[in-house]
Amino acid sequence: MISKKYKIIITLILVNFIFNSCFAVEPSEILKDHKQEKRARNISKNIRCMICQNQNIDDSSALLAKDLRIIIRDKIKDGKKDKEIYKFLTDRYGDFILLKPAFKLNTLALWIFPSIFFIFGIYIIFNHNKKSKKI
Amino acid sequence: MKKQLLKLPLLFFLIVSVIFFYLLIIERNPSKIPSALLDKNVPEFEAESLLTNYQFTSSKEFGNEIVLVNFFATWCKPCRDEHSYIKRFSDEKKIKIVGINYKDNPEKAIQWLKELGNPYSVIAKDKKGKIAIDWGVYGIPETFVVNSKGVIKYRHVGPVSQKEYKKINLIIKKINNDK
Repeated sequence: MISKKYKIIITLILVNFIFNSCFAVEPSEILKDHKQEKRARNISKNIRCMICQNQNIDDSSALLAKDLRIIIRDKIKDGKKDKEIYKFLTDRYGDFILLKPAFKLNTLALWIFPSIFFIFGIYIIFNHNKKSKKI
Repeated sequence: MKKQLLKLPLLFFLIVSVIFFYLLIIERNPSKIPSALLDKNVPEFEAESLLTNYQFTSSKEFGNEIVLVNFFATWCKPCRDEHSYIKRFSDEKKIKIVGINYKDNPEKAIQWLKELGNPYSVIAKDKKGKIAIDWGVYGIPETFVVNSKGVIKYRHVGPVSQKEYKKINLIIKKINNDK
């Protein structure tokens, strides 16, 4: 049997996993209005940190990420819509700043090819199975 | 017919491999991002100037001649490395250079320019980094070439080296020829 001490330690580790979501937002940045803060966090999660590049600005402690987080919050406080904030950022940094590529003509292949491959793959498997049965 | 169809994935795989291999061997830096501001007008901004008691207004500075815009700071080591090339643009090529002093200590910046020489015709202070964000700057030093109509024609991220110095000169020549 696991002793009581170990049980407590294991529980603490598991609890830590639940609450330990990693983010870099500093207490001074957080907005008082919970709804607005939630919106800011949501936008930040979709915005690429231009310095770390594979991290979003919500997770990044780079200084530019912090500046962008503050700008996003200032804009929310000014009553700007999410769409306007995304436009502000893409006007300056291009579509690259969006972690999820926009659905545009030049990204069409990126979005459509996976499903074409999937269908094609199923077709091949199906065909192959049919042939095997005949033998 | 069906057999040939089954060869398609292999063919496709080969094509994709060739594309990947090509992208791997050509000289390119995937962390460099094309500027969203290319062929757009310079962002409008006002700022305090570093050396004189002069209010920097972008509309006054751009639109008359070719201007280089250089984002720099004293705490940035590569800025020191590229400084001799930035100086050559103003000393040898007589190009107007606007400096943007990014998140810096003004006294240190003045001292830095005394030590290394001042190639800038005017320097705007970007205390909070807001000007840099308007220009889509993400890593200083960054250098922009703005044509005589106030349109951004080229952007370089990172220090200007011998190679980049030559390239920017060619771009300036091309802009002059296109006029």
